Amino acid sequence: MSAQQLMRPSAPRRWYADPARLALLALLVSAALCFLLPLYVMSLTSFKSMEEIRNTSLFALPPQLSFAAWQAAWSSACTGVACEGISAGFWNSVLIVIPSTLIAVGLGALNGYALAFWRLRGAGSLFAVLMIGAFLPIQVMMLPLVRLLAPLHLVGTLTGIIIVHVIFSMPVMTLIFRNYYAALPRELFLAARLDGAGFLYAFLRLMLPMSLPMLAVAAIMQATGVWNDYLLGLVFAGREHLPMTVQLNNLVNTTTGTREYNVDMAATLLTALVPLLIYALAGRWFVRGIAAGSLKA
Amino acid sequence: MNTRRIDRGLRRAHLALVPMALVALVCYLGATLWSLRISLSSSRSFPVSDFVGLAQYRRLFSNERWLHSLGNLATYGLLFVAACLVIGWLLAILIEREVRIGGALRLVFLYPYAMSFVATGLVWQWMLNPGLGIQEAVRRWGFSEFRFDWLVDQDHALYTIVIATVWQASGLVMTILLAGMRGIDADIWRAARIDAVPAWRLHLWVIAPMLAAPFATATLLLLTGVAKLYDAVVAMTQGGPGTASEVPTKFIMDHLFGRANIALASAGAAVLVLSALIVMMPLFYARARSNRRNA
Amino acid sequence: MLALLCLALPCAAAVAAQAAPAARPRAEVLHWWTSGGEAAAVRTLADAYRAAGGDWVDTAIAGNEQARAVALSRIVGNDAPAAALFNASRQFRELIDQGLLITLDDVAQREGWDAILPEPILNAVRVNGHYYAAPVSLHMPTWIWYSKVALRKAGVEKEPTSFAELFLALDKLKAAGLIPLAHGGQAWQDNIVFRAVLANLGGRELYLKAFRDRDPAAIASPQFREVLSTFKRLHSYVDAGSPGRNWNDATALLISNRAGFQIMGDWVKAEFSSASKLPGRDYGCIPGFGAHSPYIIQGDAFVFPRSTSAATLRAQKLLASAITGRATQLAFSALKGSIPIRADVDVSTLDQCARLGVSIMKDRSRQLGNDETWLTPDQNGALADILTDYWNRDLAVSTVQQRIVAALTD
Repeated sequence: MSAQQLMRPSAPRRWYADPARLALLALLVSAALCFLLPLYVMSLTSFKSMEEIRNTSLFALPPQLSFAAWQAAWSSACTGVACEGISAGFWNSVLIVIPSTLIAVGLGALNGYALAFWRLRGAGSLFAVLMIGAFLPIQVMMLPLVRLLAPLHLVGTLTGIIIVHVIFSMPVMTLIFRNYYAALPRELFLAARLDGAGFLYAFLRLMLPMSLPMLAVAAIMQATGVWNDYLLGLVFAGREHLPMTVQLNNLVNTTTGTREYNVDMAATLLTALVPLLIYALAGRWFVRGIAAGSLKA
Repeated sequence: MNTRRIDRGLRRAHLALVPMALVALVCYLGATLWSLRISLSSSRSFPVSDFVGLAQYRRLFSNERWLHSLGNLATYGLLFVAACLVIGWLLAILIEREVRIGGALRLVFLYPYAMSFVATGLVWQWMLNPGLGIQEAVRRWGFSEFRFDWLVDQDHALYTIVIATVWQASGLVMTILLAGMRGIDADIWRAARIDAVPAWRLHLWVIAPMLAAPFATATLLLLTGVAKLYDAVVAMTQGGPGTASEVPTKFIMDHLFGRANIALASAGAAVLVLSALIVMMPLFYARARSNRRNA
Repeated sequence: MLALLCLALPCAAAVAAQAAPAARPRAEVLHWWTSGGEAAAVRTLADAYRAAGGDWVDTAIAGNEQARAVALSRIVGNDAPAAALFNASRQFRELIDQGLLITLDDVAQREGWDAILPEPILNAVRVNGHYYAAPVSLHMPTWIWYSKVALRKAGVEKEPTSFAELFLALDKLKAAGLIPLAHGGQAWQDNIVFRAVLANLGGRELYLKAFRDRDPAAIASPQFREVLSTFKRLHSYVDAGSPGRNWNDATALLISNRAGFQIMGDWVKAEFSSASKLPGRDYGCIPGFGAHSPYIIQGDAFVFPRSTSAATLRAQKLLASAITGRATQLAFSALKGSIPIRADVDVSTLDQCARLGVSIMKDRSRQLGNDETWLTPDQNGALADILTDYWNRDLAVSTVQQRIVAALTD
């Protein structure tokens, strides 16, 4: 923050009086507009009627807002034989995201803590193996995982898909917490140990409260990642728990006669709404958490 | 008494790492070894325990589409990482200087990171479609000769994937670099101002070298994304036109299921992971060294 | 918390359904029929099953490769649906070899499948004398469709009866400023166009030599070379927006009379009907060129994964006979655009293109298997890669011939 104060021009001229600054601002704002373009097109299209979509340009404002497409996408569009929109998938996704996030973040923090502060034999090599996992495309892991979970009767269950999400997120979750804890002064931990804190006590009472910014980053990453997943949900969630993205895909690729782009876009926005809201509401903590060192080290 | 407590603590610490050990050894190491074994067999849909040596690898490297996919991934990776780093860096600098407006715009640059291509693929496909999207809109504004048909162009389709994925990921790079800039000593900014160093020179020659660690982190994150590139391709071009934008993960996925050849798919996976590791190793090594120096 | 959520949410329905007495047979059916016409057709199957006393639990996954991937991993993962859709081809051969499917011998005998099913379909579902899949539809992938209005506008008087006439018509359409050939540039659609050229220009003999015998000499022959260059010549009649386009978006170009021809399977009829277009009045269908043009059979069939539950087995057997019944087949075909799998159905109520197809099918010598009948999914995919590459890029024909030989003899 000191940096920003310092970088501000010394004699605060009005922004419109300084051509260099004006140029910078213009650059920044036009970059922002470029980034917003896809979202703009999506929202606009979802409020148009099919007639307007056919006859007007992609970027033209609709003469009047129509919510029909949103309604259809939520509750009446066909995703196969059933025509109930994508609302059922919404709740399935919620059911998958909440436990997957809590467990994955909790385990990540615990792993990071144990790796950073406890000198455990073999932990380093274990961690290296885990890191290879960060680069494995999920397609490679899918078949072995199906075979692994099959004898346990976990394929096609809510528990199964949650376990799979926890497995796939473990490398990154562990990495960011380990780096965060490794950057903390070790004396802190040693002092707690001298005061008689055990393994769990030091974790729950000392480390977890100190890692709030990190917990925010991890939770945001994991929740949006799980929400956006399509392939794992498709294979592991089973019929009763198919996430919203699967229904979205059915809807968007359910193509009869003319494609209903407005419904497609509304469904897309509905699906993206949760991660967007998470970033809109908690984005500040995400940025702060990263600044606090989670991804820095 | 103290030793007993430490023993119990250690035992608990070991216990706490059991889930991680299971995931690392059974899932990741297990899956990797299993895939390697399969890649040496003649398995089709189901694993067969025969041994055919490197036959699948030979097949793989005589397969046009696979070779083309690897080449595509290299081109893509280079462009994607470079563009993300440059754009993310420029955005970070702009926001650093224009803190009031920049702060508000931070989320605008970060929001694409929240969305998956299962959702945004359609709008990209649409905007890039010459008949429906940007080309058509610009032509309606009166520039009837305007051309932007990369999506359906053999030689340029891959670049549309770069554009869309850069849009998605450069906000994250920006965030990481901004965090890095905040951590830089205030004296440096002050000294630069007193000496009236132009902003671009300050950033290029003074600040950027100090951001080596955040740049490395960002590069690493981007590279993991490169190896896993799949969703954007399937959603936007399906590897087309023809095989112009095919990528290795799609080759692997196609052969795992639709084409019922898990042996060839596993050989592809092994090659992909190995190449990823070769690219990453120097980065990991450099990071580990700089961490040790700092410690 | 979870339990609470569960109570309030749709999964409660699932829990309730499981708790209900298992009096009625219940079958989860996994398929990829998600488009409007397809979904309507599936509904007739579901209705027939319900009428027979069963409960149809529908699982639709868009995209046939995607759906088959899910079916395969769920079968391997001990979470198999009662029935899963495959193409009647070698796609499920390994499931049979692994003993993962139930046999339908009793259903097949009762209905007399040997007498009423066409040979290529029988060869796909019958392995070592046992029946492993219940066919539901016969499609012909290589129909040539045309918009009557577009052809009239371009001054094409009569429908083409040879490739020479087809190219003349395409030229006229081009001159009239219309899209001559509506085509979706996706690998499988490129592949369909190729098969149409191979079957109609190369002829039955060459088709069989290439796909069934995988004969290198035939693939390297001048006739095959001509097939390839004719295929490539068609590419010069597609519009710039073709790459990546869905098949139904291509059909929409015919419906709006902006394009002349499309080479595609008979499932496009569902698109025409939903736009209230009639065969003979608004659009025409050409099964092939010449009096002996073949009927290439592309069938869909349900397989029934083996389970330990006797109730599931009962539900599966009931499903197999319900969906292959005469009345069901007629109702299903009308909506799906296919023709009935069995020869003993009165098809006078179907549209004229379907009747044309059925009349060709009557002549056994004109029945011809799909390439997937003989090629493994892997070979088939490799062939598709080569063809789509050739369709989109400038490659020497001889190079393409060499690559096809390599891919098929691999």
